[in-house]
Amino acid sequence: MRIGRNAGTYVVPLLVLMVVAFDVPILLMLASSVLAPHPTVAHWAELVESPIYFRVLGNTFQIALVTAAVCGLIGYPLAYWMRGLGGRAQLAVVTLVLLPFWISILVRTYAWIVVLGNNGIVNRSLMGLGLTDRPVSFLYNQLGVTIGTTNVLLPFLVLPLFAAMLKIDERLLQAAATLGASRRAIFWRVFFPLSLPAFAAGLVLVFILTLGFYVTPAILGGGRVPMISSMLDILINQMPRWELAAAISTLLLAVTLALYGVYRTIAARAA
Amino acid sequence: MKAGPFVALVAIATLVFLVLPILIVVAMSFSSASSLQFPPPGLSLRWYESFFGDPRWVEALITSTVLAFASSIVALVLGSAAAYGIVRGRLPGRGLIDANFMAPLILPTIVVAVAMYLALAKVGLLGTWVGLLASHVVLSVPFVVLVVGVAIRSFDERIEQVAFTLGASRAQTVLRVLLPNLVPSLASAWILALIASFDEVIVTLFVAGVYQTVPKRMFNELVLQVNPTITAIATILIAVSVLAMAAIGLITARRGGLLKTMVGR
Repeated sequence: MRIGRNAGTYVVPLLVLMVVAFDVPILLMLASSVLAPHPTVAHWAELVESPIYFRVLGNTFQIALVTAAVCGLIGYPLAYWMRGLGGRAQLAVVTLVLLPFWISILVRTYAWIVVLGNNGIVNRSLMGLGLTDRPVSFLYNQLGVTIGTTNVLLPFLVLPLFAAMLKIDERLLQAAATLGASRRAIFWRVFFPLSLPAFAAGLVLVFILTLGFYVTPAILGGGRVPMISSMLDILINQMPRWELAAAISTLLLAVTLALYGVYRTIAARAA
Repeated sequence: MKAGPFVALVAIATLVFLVLPILIVVAMSFSSASSLQFPPPGLSLRWYESFFGDPRWVEALITSTVLAFASSIVALVLGSAAAYGIVRGRLPGRGLIDANFMAPLILPTIVVAVAMYLALAKVGLLGTWVGLLASHVVLSVPFVVLVVGVAIRSFDERIEQVAFTLGASRAQTVLRVLLPNLVPSLASAWILALIASFDEVIVTLFVAGVYQTVPKRMFNELVLQVNPTITAIATILIAVSVLAMAAIGLITARRGGLLKTMVGR
């Protein structure tokens, strides 16, 4: 008797739920951008023609690019440092990097209001040191959004990168050293190229996640940093312009899936 | 190869950047001041009193808890069964089905929220308990399929075959041979689904209607004003998360530890 026979029926209940509560809604949304109230390209034409949507799109891409770059710049050294740590210290640091993963995004975002606010620890220290007389405004602008987003998304880059670095064979580095390579040469010509696929995959992942990010930009941007997600909120809950929201969602979905394909290709090479 | 002193410095600063805000929120929740000044001028439990003394927060806490338990249990049952079907079944296109179950994790949540809003509005289920429950199950079930799928894959299929050969039915094999061996993974999957639902903000904001969950209330308060009561609820959420993480750490310690479960897959 084969184990596999009829085992497939076990997927049916969840499959039914997913089709009804997820697949059909997504398809309906895609359709409504061209079919509501009758077949039309008017919603897409409006999207292409209004400069405001382009500005929001451009703004979102810019924030995503900066966030990915900053995550890479500070995340790579962290992962590299973690790789060299001893067993117990390494476990402790991995736990600390994992910790934010477990804590509500709202809480982590809120923390930045406390830290960066006019009365927060950073501004008090700056004023205490006499570096500035008035509080620096970190919040409710692009800077605040980027700080918060980087903080929330950093573990998505660091953890897979660290896992990939652990797999790099120490003997390769020793071989390079035996052959007379300097520390710098070993890093740039052996270690870094080996870690590059995982690093690139992490950067793409952070970029994708920032594109559709809603909570942190909404709170730390205070409505003054327009991004795709906050525009969708306005189009659904305030305007309401459902078909236009559907068109923008479709666009975001297409970009995300295309980039996710890139991510999978790079990540497969890293594994 | 060990990192040099400069790299170590950058790394430690990054680690502080990652963790410090969380610690500061915890410290602030015990502050006696009514503004968000740090360090707090004195200690008090006034923000906890203000949280538990406010019936709207307590009601939100109850709604969140009931919703998280209900949706995570449904997700655990459906997701585990589906993981079994995908791993052991010989389904055509099972890669596609698996991808379908994972999709809510990959698509931008805001897009899922818009789609669910439009669909629920169309069938008149916007703001209903059924709609809210279904959306939370869809969003938390990928964690169950992922974790339980890995566990079934690593369970020796020959043990199930032996049970079959000895005359057990499929139901008996699953319930009495497979499931008892999966308990740690099932527990981890359930906790993950529970946290995923309890922390869910975006879809809830769109589809919950008059239902208030803790994250929804928090979000709406944060967009409007900064109220130190939020430090208290934030600290409670952190405590719940740390306990959940510790629980999974203990549960999975037998199987190679937290590190392997979360990073290694």
